[in-house]
Amino acid sequence: MSLYQLQKLIYHVNRDPAQRERYRQDPVSFVKNYDLSDDEAKAALNVDVRALYTMGVHSLLLRPFTLLHKVSNEDYAKALKGLE
Amino acid sequence: MPIVFAGAASHAPGMTAWTEAAPKEQADKFLGNYRRLGEMLAASKPDAIVALSVEHWANFFLNQMPSFCIGRARHYDGPVEEWLRIPKARVPGDAKLSAEVIDACLDGGFDPSFSDELLFDHATFLPLHFLNPGMAVPVVPVIINTLTPPMPTAMRCFAMGQFLGNVLEQHPKRIAVIATGGLSHWPGEAKHGKINIPFDKRFLDTLISGDRTKLTEYSHEEINVEAGSGGHEIRTWIALAGAVQNWKAELLAYEPVVPWATGCGLVAFSR
Repeated sequence: MSLYQLQKLIYHVNRDPAQRERYRQDPVSFVKNYDLSDDEAKAALNVDVRALYTMGVHSLLLRPFTLLHKVSNEDYAKALKGLE
Repeated sequence: MPIVFAGAASHAPGMTAWTEAAPKEQADKFLGNYRRLGEMLAASKPDAIVALSVEHWANFFLNQMPSFCIGRARHYDGPVEEWLRIPKARVPGDAKLSAEVIDACLDGGFDPSFSDELLFDHATFLPLHFLNPGMAVPVVPVIINTLTPPMPTAMRCFAMGQFLGNVLEQHPKRIAVIATGGLSHWPGEAKHGKINIPFDKRFLDTLISGDRTKLTEYSHEEINVEAGSGGHEIRTWIALAGAVQNWKAELLAYEPVVPWATGCGLVAFSR
């Protein structure tokens, strides 16, 4: 588990335009810069809202990250259904 | 001059970014009172505003997360959020007052961190948009970690406010103190959109007509369960309660605005 690294990746993509651009160009290579488990890397690359949330990514990192990927409010809520 | 104004206000991006999603009557009532609080602040003719505020990963990350950070910059840019529908602006700071407050804290046994460069996200910028139109009055931000645990306790926030209040009361400048955050909300969580009205009302009742020292009894767990991850921001209100412990308080508005996903409160204090 490396929740810190996973959140760091998301923080960089959310907050740093240069890193966001590198991530957009080649997400697979970008993700390799962080010390992630296979599951974490997969969840990040698939923008798997439910998996990232369950792994403990902070909601105010996760929601902006998913907004960058055009995840609607409805789809976001649907992904978290049952986790209340 | 002592503290000349004190007020507390919730912030939520929806207040400006999707104002019209809220029922019109509710939005008008709340935002009208937000402006009214701004008029009360302006009428106090402050030289500076000390803003007890929070942030949402705008400046700090888990590599360094101060419990209390006092801004010492000559200006602060914001809002971070492009989509907030508030024009970008440069908010003037009062670096001299910041430095004096930081020195007083360290001399008196409080050890805040300090920063010469802070961005304001909606947490600080949105309240200032309503309370400090045109960003005319310079600001000293005091950022409290209400974002990620472990956070300073309610007791410590109250004590910090008390301490800060004493320092500001003795300062020659006319100083307005504002607190921003809360009330109950679960931003980005599975419970997003939930508002715990009974929690909010109990909190406001204690603040306005109860024994304010009781506010120090809120535990992290209680806030987390009852008021959500966003509810931790009530620590800024608790700090303000410490700063103006003996002042009267008046509820200007409380509106649980579901489309803004926040229990929205506005309180004005007076001597």
